[in-house]
Amino acid sequence: MSPIFLIQAINVLYGVTTLAVLVLGLAVIFGLLGVLNIAHGEFVMVGAYCAWAVTADGLPFLLAVPLALVVCGLLGLVVERVLIRPLYHRPFDTLVATWGLSLLLRKTAEAIFGLGFRSVRLPLAGTWHFLGVDYPSYRLVLIAVSILVLAALFLWYGSSRTGMRIRAMVGNADLAQAQGIAVKRLAAGTFIAGTILAGLGGVMVAPLVPVQPFMGLDYVLRAFFVLVVGGLGSVLGVLAGAGAIGGLDSVVSALIDGTYGYFTVLVVAILFLWLRPRGIFAHN
Amino acid sequence: MTGQRSAPAPAAQDPAPAPGLVFEAVEGGYGSATVVRGLSGMAAPGEVLCVLGRNGVGKSTLMKLLLGYIPCLAGRVLLDGRPLDRLDPPARRRRGITYCPQERPVFDDLSVRDNLTLMRHDRTLAAFAPYFARFPILERRLNQHAGTLSGGEKKILSIVRGLSEEERVVLLDEPSEGVQWENILHMAELIAERKAKGVAFIVVEQNLAFAERIADRYLVMDQGKSVLAGPRAEIGRDAILAHLHV
Repeated sequence: MSPIFLIQAINVLYGVTTLAVLVLGLAVIFGLLGVLNIAHGEFVMVGAYCAWAVTADGLPFLLAVPLALVVCGLLGLVVERVLIRPLYHRPFDTLVATWGLSLLLRKTAEAIFGLGFRSVRLPLAGTWHFLGVDYPSYRLVLIAVSILVLAALFLWYGSSRTGMRIRAMVGNADLAQAQGIAVKRLAAGTFIAGTILAGLGGVMVAPLVPVQPFMGLDYVLRAFFVLVVGGLGSVLGVLAGAGAIGGLDSVVSALIDGTYGYFTVLVVAILFLWLRPRGIFAHN
Repeated sequence: MTGQRSAPAPAAQDPAPAPGLVFEAVEGGYGSATVVRGLSGMAAPGEVLCVLGRNGVGKSTLMKLLLGYIPCLAGRVLLDGRPLDRLDPPARRRRGITYCPQERPVFDDLSVRDNLTLMRHDRTLAAFAPYFARFPILERRLNQHAGTLSGGEKKILSIVRGLSEEERVVLLDEPSEGVQWENILHMAELIAERKAKGVAFIVVEQNLAFAERIADRYLVMDQGKSVLAGPRAEIGRDAILAHLHV
């Protein structure tokens, strides 16, 4: 395999796996709770600012992980309790409410940090020699971490007691309650898990992108395209969607340029909405 | 149980609260539509109360009021003398009330095995051997998704799950719907075994032949109200039938 080809292949892998992690939180919240969290991208943004805050103070980058966990978790807890809980089963209302939330979070970030770009220094500089090519070490680590996170969540959801109870709640909430499952608390936990995943995604990408209040917009759009292609309610769908969208974007961007990459993604998303609105794995 | 209350409670006239599940003049429904009006009844330990009535007279609504899915607009529900008013369904389950609903009685997306063990501390099936002896079909379908079972098989799975919770109060909403007669008889025997151990049952039924096998008391409903109630010995088949087919 020629080195350039291999580097592109790793690029695609990088694009797909990180996108999958960034989408995961949105997919969890939408697929399991039926809540379309437009503010998902802003939770990514909050996570990225956590990374900036930690490194700007000269603290080790890894401390951003617990910080984002706490900040996005608490934020998710409050948002679920105040905004989401009264609006379950009212999809349009949650759409508007979370859109308002996204504005609020963006403006708050603007008020605190200003509009300017912040950059987070790479915690792991340099390249690693890998299969005969040199590739940025931090990106290689990100690929590994992303795969680990995805695999862990997949295994946990499929085989743990809590994962099974979440599936029970999603399938038949009344019966879940009759059997003693505290559905409200479980739903809150699921929502918080989604916002924490978004925050962790934000920490992961922070050293690679300009950190600014509007950065969430791009992620939430991309995340929606992934859900459109992959469909809802399965980790496999998220992977397939992220593979299609992230892969296409990386490949076309590499072959032509970034604008065409984004253009192709839009075309594919529109085709899916038109021809297969329930995603790749839809039965009919 | 034996204590006399030192502080006089103005509402309670009886110093010893009635054990089991009691509902007093409950009223409720959906939105502005009141479906159940002023219904009273009780299931004492070791007793089966059968709630009968045509479709749409409010039997399932009564169950939902007893379980806290919908709020009582008037009246109250007591478990062993303690009001349950403010408790949601999971909290009532923790107080010891089992419920097997009429609609969507099992988790279709989970396997039969997971349906049985979802809330159990151990995930082994040892406790289910006596049930599998009566309903071998369940054991054969353990690894199948419950959604692939027939309506009657789902009812069997539901009642086995419910009885295996081994609680003091069991609410069954049309347990025999779609179930073969042979298995209905097994259900009746299982209920009788539990009754002998002091479990209180409230069973909503359409099948009078089944109701006659298990009931200690009847509550016959029409248009959300009680039209006939009392011990089985005092209520004849004809009197019930008069209210079931109008």
